[in-house]
Amino acid sequence: MDEPQLPIASARRYIGSLAANSIKVLPRILATLIFFAAFEGVIFHTRIYPSILEPESTAGAMETQLNNEIKRPKLDRNQVLAVGHSRMALLPRVANNMQPSTGYRFASVGLGGSTPRCWYYELRELDPTARRYAAIIIPTDDFNEPDSYDNLGNRDLDIRYLIARLKLSDLADFPWSFDDRKLKWVAFGDTLFKGYVYKRDFIDFLSHAKARIAKVRQSDQYSAGWFYDYGGPDHSLAGLQIDWQHNVAHFPASFTPQQRQLIEDVLFQPRPPDAGQLSRYLHHWYGRILDHYRGSGTKLIFLRVPRAPMPPPEPPPKLNSAIRQIASEPDVIVLDEHLFDPLERTDLFADPMHLTAEGMNRFSRMLAAEVRRVLGPPKS
Amino acid sequence: MLFNTPQFFAFLAVVLIAFYCSPRSWRRIILLAASYFFYMSWIPKFILLLLALTVIDYTAARWIARTESPRSRKIALIVSLSANLGLLGFFKYYNFFAVNIAHLLGKPEGSFALSIILPLGISFHTFQSMSYVIDVYRGEQKPIVNLIDYALYISFFPQLVAGPIVRAREFFGDLYHWQAPNSAEVLRGLLLVILGLAKKMVMADQFAQVANNYFKDVAGHPGLLAAWSGVVAFGIQIYFDFSGYTDMAIGMALLLGFHFPINFRRPYLASSITDFWHRWHMSLSRWLRDYLYIPLGGNRHGRLMTYRNLMLTMLLGGLWHGASWNFVVWGGYHGALLSIERMLGLKRAPEENRWTSFYPIRAIFTFALVMIGWVFFRAANFHDSIYVLQQMFTGNIGSMFLMRWQIDLALITLLLAFLEEKKAWFERIAIGPAWAYGAVCALLLLSVELIGYTEAAVPFVYFQF
Repeated sequence: MDEPQLPIASARRYIGSLAANSIKVLPRILATLIFFAAFEGVIFHTRIYPSILEPESTAGAMETQLNNEIKRPKLDRNQVLAVGHSRMALLPRVANNMQPSTGYRFASVGLGGSTPRCWYYELRELDPTARRYAAIIIPTDDFNEPDSYDNLGNRDLDIRYLIARLKLSDLADFPWSFDDRKLKWVAFGDTLFKGYVYKRDFIDFLSHAKARIAKVRQSDQYSAGWFYDYGGPDHSLAGLQIDWQHNVAHFPASFTPQQRQLIEDVLFQPRPPDAGQLSRYLHHWYGRILDHYRGSGTKLIFLRVPRAPMPPPEPPPKLNSAIRQIASEPDVIVLDEHLFDPLERTDLFADPMHLTAEGMNRFSRMLAAEVRRVLGPPKS
Repeated sequence: MLFNTPQFFAFLAVVLIAFYCSPRSWRRIILLAASYFFYMSWIPKFILLLLALTVIDYTAARWIARTESPRSRKIALIVSLSANLGLLGFFKYYNFFAVNIAHLLGKPEGSFALSIILPLGISFHTFQSMSYVIDVYRGEQKPIVNLIDYALYISFFPQLVAGPIVRAREFFGDLYHWQAPNSAEVLRGLLLVILGLAKKMVMADQFAQVANNYFKDVAGHPGLLAAWSGVVAFGIQIYFDFSGYTDMAIGMALLLGFHFPINFRRPYLASSITDFWHRWHMSLSRWLRDYLYIPLGGNRHGRLMTYRNLMLTMLLGGLWHGASWNFVVWGGYHGALLSIERMLGLKRAPEENRWTSFYPIRAIFTFALVMIGWVFFRAANFHDSIYVLQQMFTGNIGSMFLMRWQIDLALITLLLAFLEEKKAWFERIAIGPAWAYGAVCALLLLSVELIGYTEAAVPFVYFQF
């Protein structure tokens, strides 16, 4: 570095050496990128790796649900599909028992922990042409959409749920749908480099490859039947008393400390002042679903799930909530807010959020009948 | 700022761009500024320590070269060595001695202890400084006139934290006759950075999980298999951690036009402990040989003195790794093995005999001896070390800590090491066709993506030394 340099000679030599180096270096860097993209693309951006995902993992559970629904024979368009989280209590078996009277065939891809953002991508995958279903049932917890400390806009678990279904074209919008700036980039990187998201699953696969393949095969073969035959939990919260005015629960002696803690945590959870965050989020994702089905003839049926083991106090209605705003859109049907209030009973709830087997049975029958009522007779 | 973080790669990209886009006369200043920034990204105030040592050693070397008086030269040397060893001793060994003195006096352990944070890379940069001043004193190195050049030698960020320990003549040879790296060097540098990252994240950090689980509660995991798998996991961790760091350091230096000596040459394929030390942390071995073993007399004064010198060198080498009796025992263990090998006349297996029938047995035996040594290196205390050794040799079978995929991964790397030893595949790929280079780099990157431990950026093991 010490020798005196004539600026022009130095620059020429530098450019000369740079050009000479580039001839050898650039093709190798390019080859690295091409090979990496090819490995990553072939294994993770196709259906190869998703086909061996652990069926009980977040991404695997989503894949199982979607694959089962894709494989389910659909003889006509009189199909009604429910999306949703674990509180979507529709039992397709029960609803389908009423098919002679309703005329519709019901199915559910409800998945615990999934969010409206997931539901949009699920529907895009299940119904790319928006012509497969007569109606889509979408649950909501509360028509007033109060904000909570768990901002759904930043639910990073959504990336794991959806990873197998995200495409490179989703880089343009999926990552940016997160509120947090850091999370946007995490989602961007994860969508691009899917192998990174599959890391734990991949290491688990390496550890138990044979067992995994056997489990995946079994799931492929039987899981649709397992889900269809699921009956719901038997135990209930019968005997529980809730004083909503003072946020106090009175428990029967048989309740375990863990049960009591869960009930108090869920039912009396503190909430931040409502800033309309959840409504904005729902407005965006309901809007995306609506846009997907706009003009297709598929009805979007929104309902309020049974909220709690005892009817909670009713605050004044929030008129600018997302659900109330889209209610006036064509092809949107919002079921009566109080339709399922009769199920808000301690003997029909298994825990503070979910219905018992009996509750799910009643819910399914009520929903099937209501869907028939709002849709009218099926098209032949 | 750890090498295995996105922040570091962003920093490296900025440094490379700034370095190559600026006039040559600015480049060493850019490197020095980058190195100081890198050092200060940890605990900024310790930069004062680095600056103080830089000025002391720079001045001492200049003084040694300028004065004719042997006494003055010696005083300058002693001042420099005292400053380096004093600071190293205080930061690294004060609490070790304080605890032992308290123990001897029957006082509580913490009676004289201080809350001391070990400055980053102090063991490495002090050894580098000392080698420079000693070389100047011996007349083997001209004193550096430009303080910035000398400061860069001491603080050059690729090797500041954990080596390799670069000799002054190697570094200044590159600095004063700097040439832009040619395409082969750029490609080798890039490949080394990627390989080092893969070694660290895929091998070291994954096996660290196994080793940490075992060593955090050795009594909770009795049995022969548990002990061996825990110890082997640590052996894999420490090798891949340190050699991964070194590969990245050598690679980054190459990208900047500097040539560092290699620090590891597949040490677990060594055919004897003597061979192991010719392959493990070679720059430290070289330093200990040139500045400790040979000045002590080396092998020039008979057998007994040679064994003594070997033991002293290895004991101090052990203590260099950390302030604990465990490291002293580890050093003493290796010193004893080296002495025994010398006593038995065991030499390194000649390269041409490497694949004879005895080599695998010798290599496996050496590997087992090295693993036994790691017990002292890794165990929390001497009591745990003895317990683990008991389990390794007298325990029940117990259960294996390593999972199947980890064993497979270790076997694949062993195969790659054999191929490198025999066929030098790494060198071939670095200068090979674009498709081979691209495929290997892509596979390494894919392994980082898929298997690399990314729950947290795990610090390099040798950072604590």
